[in-house]
Amino acid sequence: MNWFFNMLRSSIGKKLLMALTGLGFCLFLLIHLIGNLTLYGGKGLFLSYVEHLHALGPLIRIAELGLLAFAAIHVSSGLILFWQNLQARPVRYQVSKNAGGRTIGSATMPYTGVLILIFVVIHLLNFHFIDHSRQTVFQAIDATFSMLPYVIFYTFAVIIVAIHISHGFWSLFQTFGANHPKYMPAIKGMGVIFSLLAAAGFGFIPVYVSFIM
Amino acid sequence: MKLDAKIPAGPLAEKWDQHRFNLKLVNPANKKKFEIIVVGTGLAGASAAATLAELGYHVKNFCIQDSPRRAHSIAAQGGINAAKNYANDGDSVWRLFYDTVKGGDFRAREANVYRLAQLSCNIIDHCVAQGIPFARDYGGFLDNRSFGGAQVSRTFYAKGQTGQQLLLGAYSALMRQVSIGMVKLFPRREMMDLVLVDGKARGLVVRNLITGEIETYDAHAVVLATGGYGNVFNLSTNAMSSNVTAAFRAYKKGAYFANPCFTQIHPTCIPVHGTFQSKLTLMSESLRNDGRVWVPKKPGDKRLPRDIPESERDYFLENKYPSFGNLVPRDVASRNAKEQCDKGKGVGETGLAVYLDFSDAIKRDGENVIAGKYGNLFEMYEKITGDNPYKNPMMIFPAVHYTMGGLWVDYNLMSTIPGLFVLGEANFSDHGANRLGASALMQGLADGYFVIPYTIGGYLAQTSFSKVNVSDSKEFKQGIDDVQKRINKLLSVNGNRTVSEFHRELGLILWDHCGMSRNEEGLSKALSMIRDLRHEFWENVYVPGTGNDLNQSLENAGRVADFLEFGELMINDALARKESCGGHFNTAFQTEENEAKRDDENFCHVAAWEYTGDDQKPDFHKESLSFENVELTQRSYK
Amino acid sequence: MISKTINLTLKVWRQNRGEKKGRLETYHAKDISVDMSFLEMIDVVNEDLTKNRKEPIAFDHDCREGICGMCGAVVNGRTHGHEKETTLCQLHMRHFSDGDTIVIEPWRSRAFPLIKDLIVDRSALDKIIQAGGYISVNAGGAPDANALPIAGEVAETAFIAAACIGCGACVAACPNASAMLFVSAKVSHLALLPQGRPEAAKRVQAMVRQMDECGFGNCSNETECEVECPKGISIVEIARLNREFLKAEFS
Repeated sequence: MNWFFNMLRSSIGKKLLMALTGLGFCLFLLIHLIGNLTLYGGKGLFLSYVEHLHALGPLIRIAELGLLAFAAIHVSSGLILFWQNLQARPVRYQVSKNAGGRTIGSATMPYTGVLILIFVVIHLLNFHFIDHSRQTVFQAIDATFSMLPYVIFYTFAVIIVAIHISHGFWSLFQTFGANHPKYMPAIKGMGVIFSLLAAAGFGFIPVYVSFIM
Repeated sequence: MKLDAKIPAGPLAEKWDQHRFNLKLVNPANKKKFEIIVVGTGLAGASAAATLAELGYHVKNFCIQDSPRRAHSIAAQGGINAAKNYANDGDSVWRLFYDTVKGGDFRAREANVYRLAQLSCNIIDHCVAQGIPFARDYGGFLDNRSFGGAQVSRTFYAKGQTGQQLLLGAYSALMRQVSIGMVKLFPRREMMDLVLVDGKARGLVVRNLITGEIETYDAHAVVLATGGYGNVFNLSTNAMSSNVTAAFRAYKKGAYFANPCFTQIHPTCIPVHGTFQSKLTLMSESLRNDGRVWVPKKPGDKRLPRDIPESERDYFLENKYPSFGNLVPRDVASRNAKEQCDKGKGVGETGLAVYLDFSDAIKRDGENVIAGKYGNLFEMYEKITGDNPYKNPMMIFPAVHYTMGGLWVDYNLMSTIPGLFVLGEANFSDHGANRLGASALMQGLADGYFVIPYTIGGYLAQTSFSKVNVSDSKEFKQGIDDVQKRINKLLSVNGNRTVSEFHRELGLILWDHCGMSRNEEGLSKALSMIRDLRHEFWENVYVPGTGNDLNQSLENAGRVADFLEFGELMINDALARKESCGGHFNTAFQTEENEAKRDDENFCHVAAWEYTGDDQKPDFHKESLSFENVELTQRSYK
Repeated sequence: MISKTINLTLKVWRQNRGEKKGRLETYHAKDISVDMSFLEMIDVVNEDLTKNRKEPIAFDHDCREGICGMCGAVVNGRTHGHEKETTLCQLHMRHFSDGDTIVIEPWRSRAFPLIKDLIVDRSALDKIIQAGGYISVNAGGAPDANALPIAGEVAETAFIAAACIGCGACVAACPNASAMLFVSAKVSHLALLPQGRPEAAKRVQAMVRQMDECGFGNCSNETECEVECPKGISIVEIARLNREFLKAEFS
């Protein structure tokens, strides 16, 4: 196993960790999004989804622990990379310009990452770590989204997530070594579509819940 | 001292094999007891250092740049010749040998050139094994193209970056030896002097270009692979740091300098734009396959090229050489362009350019075809000049490109100083009075990969293992002293003119009088002009900064000081050679067709010059050339 | 047809050897012909400084035709200036306007310690090549060059990667000062060719380890390197490097 940890310690190894866990989050987000789409089908459909989900019992626990581990890895390697990259250029440029390769997504990865972390904690406090015997998840959603500041915060966070994905998605393919002139445009396109879908799918939930339902 | 080229006896084709057998060998266990200094990391230097280390010698390798990969071999565009006959078009070792000897206007040694042709095949094999991405056809086999001076396709190439790829191959071999500790690398070091102990080359005095420290290194033999001296002209296609200092220091220590007046001027370069031009850029001469060279018929015609009607254009190469037309050899094309400009018919701002016009070719083949052939060259031209060659004719002018002259070496590549070997462009050996395209890379690598590894063994086998005690050696102390004095002197002149001003002036003198065409009057005039300039230099140069720091002005000052002495040697050589041949065109010696007219009776020799003291005329030594296998003919391109 | 000249204000990073901190100093470049290259413009400024008994700006340069990789500086925040696929020596002054202010800084990376003014020490790149950027073949032992056919496209792809000039612009341009593009170019060149396969796994591992040891940053796929590379080397090579590395580690 020594070789494995040695590999992970290398720069590419750390990127591999970021990419693997990032891919995990993308998959999670996709499932989460599909699940949440039931909201658009009305309270009944949504609550039956929640019920089915909770019925999975230990599987859900395992998935949660998995996500927690992924988060720990993603955040800690991200922080190490960020710190190392800062140190790699002790004297900064007086004039620094974007040559055209950087995007908002790529340039802000560490910062959007931290914001997402904060958001996730609040998000979990709002909807996960609540007393499920006193209220349904739907009631929690309804109550939370009736507060305008939270809606603004939530919408902002969803946009941040989309920005993070806009770089993260194609980037993880690049890290796995999957970059070929034939396929890369499609991968990049999928990344954009995925981030837009996530932004739209999650972003309209508060609007839908507060105004339309 | 009588020059002995040590050419092995026997039939031409067997000389090298026979010689390798006769050379003494160094026992593998003993190789590690020898240290060899290699100066330079171009094709010759890097290949020699790597190969010697592969054999088990300990190598110290020096270069002037920050990394061995920067050496100017990297800029060679066209390709490398090899007598592989893959094209099945009648090539052979013998034909490559013959073309090279003829192209050199019969002023090179038969035995050396034949060996070069033989080794050309091994070079390609080795380079492919190193992973050099030569151009290939669809079937995966190596592609060849044809090049000037040959009627067969024998040039291997990697786009227009063959020199780069070959150098990176040699560099990677060198890096491999560095990683296993067989080569110790000394970048950013400039050789300031050669140290002789008991008459043998045993070490160097170098300047650490970062700290300014003067350092000494010892070895059992010294290999110089320090390139050519084209920058004596100030403007050339050479890199900025290319210089004659290493070779010239060796000359002053007793190595003879051979044929310094043989310089090659390349016809298709981008013209000079102004006083502060720092270097000239060459474009592949393949451009002349489709471009037509012309000037206005009327001197001083300042109209735009498109406004000059066909009837008022002078396609001077086509008119003068109906059968070869625009494809005459380099020297002929260059000389004629200069002749037109001297008549006032030159074009462009400076009047020092001729048109190379592709409009007929574009009309005939379409822009796409021309772009397919020359796209990258057109781009390069547009990048530098800001002018679109698809719309307006290119402007070209000849530029100094390669120097055939160099330190005299025998068949073993050893100079007249025992233990001092000279490889690549720095020696004089294989190209005679004119080098053919795609032959420089071949020679550098042949010398480094396949000649020196054998011949240096023959020398070392007959020397002792004993090391020089550097700290006690009076020769090394003297070396440091001399170098330090010279540096102090340069810094203390404290005059009013910059080093570049002197360099520019020297360049102009040589370009005007010892360039494409020469005559006795001009050469004599230049001789006194250079002397005056040199005296002024030592009285009026200003070198800022100090000696114990990174000081690029000081580096340049040292190089220009040597050029100022070396220029005189060139002119002396040109004056002594009372004939025209290859790159040396003396207007007094030409055929009725204005071609170079050799005098094989009196000048079929190598002129080797021995240093006799500052401000003294060097001694002339002659190595007669005998041609037993080829017939001496007059070149004609009519 | 006298060529145009322009006047410029330069702010150039000056830092003596051993000095902890440098500073931008202001110079005026007058009557600069637009046909000059950027380095020739600095030559003119240096001539001027010399005549005024001041020490000229130290900068690395050699071939001045865009192939040796010796020159390079960050010009107004862009490595080798703002022109695409251009080294500093091939950047011409016609791409600037009269009255421009130009800020010139050295490559910045922990792995490239500054030596003086605009000159940095790039020996880390040599060290990476020493770690494995070669095919282990001694002179003399090679089979016939045509013994091993290599498809034209493969040779072409290898050539594209092999075109790297080792200037270090990718490191200078990378927001993380990573050397991945440089390393990937050599790894790709040799991994693509059959001659390079026997050592491919060992090579990529050794080169990546050496790169990490030299103190470069980590690649985060910002792609600034491929935009600034004077030879147009693409991050496709980095993907290939990643692939080669993972393949080597997991087998």
